[in-house]
Amino acid sequence: MRRGATIALAAIALGASGVGAYQLAPAPVEQTAHWREIAWPFPRDGWPMGRAFRCDGACTGAELYVRAKRSFCNCDRGVADDDEVDRVADVDLISPRFSAMALGEEVSIGDMRGRARRYDLDMPDGARHAAIGVAVSRRCDLFVAAVRGRGDASAVQRAALAFLETQEMKIWVTAALDGR
Amino acid sequence: MISRVHFAACLVIFACSTAAQAQKQQVIGAPPEASNMKLVGTNDLQARSAYQPTIQHQGDRWIAYIGHHGGTDDVPSPVNPMTGQAEPNGTSIVDVTDPSHPKYLRHLPGQEGKYESGGAQMVRVCDGKSLPKGDPNAVYMLRTFGSEAHEIWNVADPASPVLVTRIGGLKDTHKSWWECDTGIAYLVSGAPDWRTRRMTQVYDLGDPAHPQKIRDFGLPGQEPGSTGAVPTELHGPISTGPNGNRVYFGYGTNKGGILQIVDREKLLTGPKEPTPDNLRYPEISRLPMSAFNGAHTTFPMLDMPVAEFAEDKDGKTRDIVMIVDEAILNECSEARQMVWFADVTTETRPMMISSYTVPEASGQFCQRGGRFGSHSSNESMAPVYYKKMAFIAFFNAGVRALDIRDPYHPKEVGYFIPSITSATDKRCIPIEGGARCKVAIQTNNVETDDRGYIYIVDRANTGLHILELTGPARAVAGLPKN
Repeated sequence: MRRGATIALAAIALGASGVGAYQLAPAPVEQTAHWREIAWPFPRDGWPMGRAFRCDGACTGAELYVRAKRSFCNCDRGVADDDEVDRVADVDLISPRFSAMALGEEVSIGDMRGRARRYDLDMPDGARHAAIGVAVSRRCDLFVAAVRGRGDASAVQRAALAFLETQEMKIWVTAALDGR
Repeated sequence: MISRVHFAACLVIFACSTAAQAQKQQVIGAPPEASNMKLVGTNDLQARSAYQPTIQHQGDRWIAYIGHHGGTDDVPSPVNPMTGQAEPNGTSIVDVTDPSHPKYLRHLPGQEGKYESGGAQMVRVCDGKSLPKGDPNAVYMLRTFGSEAHEIWNVADPASPVLVTRIGGLKDTHKSWWECDTGIAYLVSGAPDWRTRRMTQVYDLGDPAHPQKIRDFGLPGQEPGSTGAVPTELHGPISTGPNGNRVYFGYGTNKGGILQIVDREKLLTGPKEPTPDNLRYPEISRLPMSAFNGAHTTFPMLDMPVAEFAEDKDGKTRDIVMIVDEAILNECSEARQMVWFADVTTETRPMMISSYTVPEASGQFCQRGGRFGSHSSNESMAPVYYKKMAFIAFFNAGVRALDIRDPYHPKEVGYFIPSITSATDKRCIPIEGGARCKVAIQTNNVETDDRGYIYIVDRANTGLHILELTGPARAVAGLPKN
């Protein structure tokens, strides 16, 4: 996580700009990740639509889906366990058939704490994808992210979390959690 | 000249909008808003945030048991004036034999914790004489203890409850159902190894001192060891007992609701290992709702005669389930949560037939503060109102009385919105750089007793209000004029 924060700070320092084309600081693999906004690809459900991004560069082909889920969290405990990540992180939007590959880990995005977990996705076309579900909380509200991609899951997770730490995304996340 | 006209017009518009804004807000000292319902008595419930009320006829007394949420950020453990001690919110026990003078008997503390994380939100009561192996001199109160346990207390002396048993080790609890004639209880629990916060633990509580676990139950995908998407969590079931042989489970609260119709006998006697096949075995059908709405309360009203269909050769009576969503977010920050009526006569093809909501414009409820939308209905099946009238807690719109004799066309016939008091807590929404708060009634739950009194309780600490119907609303229920 410290590495993620470092990347984020570096990204800000390097002038990541605009929602449509974020640029991250050099990742350990010495490549750069660009997140380009794409249309929200999922049908309407009970939650307001979120935002979707596709990665070019270090995590080419990875897609990131983020949204706020207000009043959907234990106000005191926050994201308490991996089961909660399974339930809320929107991995099921990508495919309802997924299985966890390992225990999750604690993560934070800004001041919000929660958990991330990696999954193996069984796609409708029979393909296998890797995915990462992230859920962090702010009091009774959740902010969730789901990432899918074919590359190294650790690198994709780092790149996604670093992206979510950018100032532009933090501002949007705050507004989304406020219902604005 | 034109600019003066414009200026004057702006002043008029400003004055009107200010007046309209003022009209939206409740103020201390203003009378309640009411139609065909009138206040009989009140109790402040020690300014504790209230959830489920249950009214029990005990001997010649009528006792109200009222569950509470945890405390608030400002007052985590209110002081009980009867003991002088700060006590985590739990269960209020109130003698309502004389509804015009309710007498607060006892506060039974609950789990420490704020809001949904503490307290003792839910309560059911069975007489020991009705339970198969109960002590005939006892009256048993089943309550949740925060998120960690279910408890049974002997409340034969309601001012001095005695703990009988405790079922603990849970990660959550919610609105359970207890059949007083068989002792079978459908406890809404969070079993630690299940993937959902809330599922069902079926127990035989016919001998409350010796609970017997029957099985765990939920939707396939929620059970331990399953993978993939996790179905919406349970909110609560209602059973029709061995005669009706059905249990109606409501999943979801304000989103992705599901009404699940379950064969009670198969549930109790079928294979118990929580495998997907075993969980499907007792299910008769499901009615998935819009992703916008949840199923907080699923209240069955079977074999209802519908006057409009009286001359039809088939389908004169219908099996109806009233489904009530729960509004969660303040100031209309979500899709409207309301009331739905499902015709489940053909059980494998349940169909939504009608709906009801309070018209927002009738009270500018989105501007008043707090939640606006439905939360729950009365769950008493006493003849006085059953299949004739339903009472819906509608947060800042108070309680609404519905004529449901024709469930295809439910009609509001009365309402009551209590006045706020100095105890009424604020409700806030985030705004840029902070929060904006308003004070409004938040009628959370409603219950009725066999005498026809209506009990409403407030989530924003305004206490208990006991009501009765007046005017034409009494005629709907067949009550004598008052």
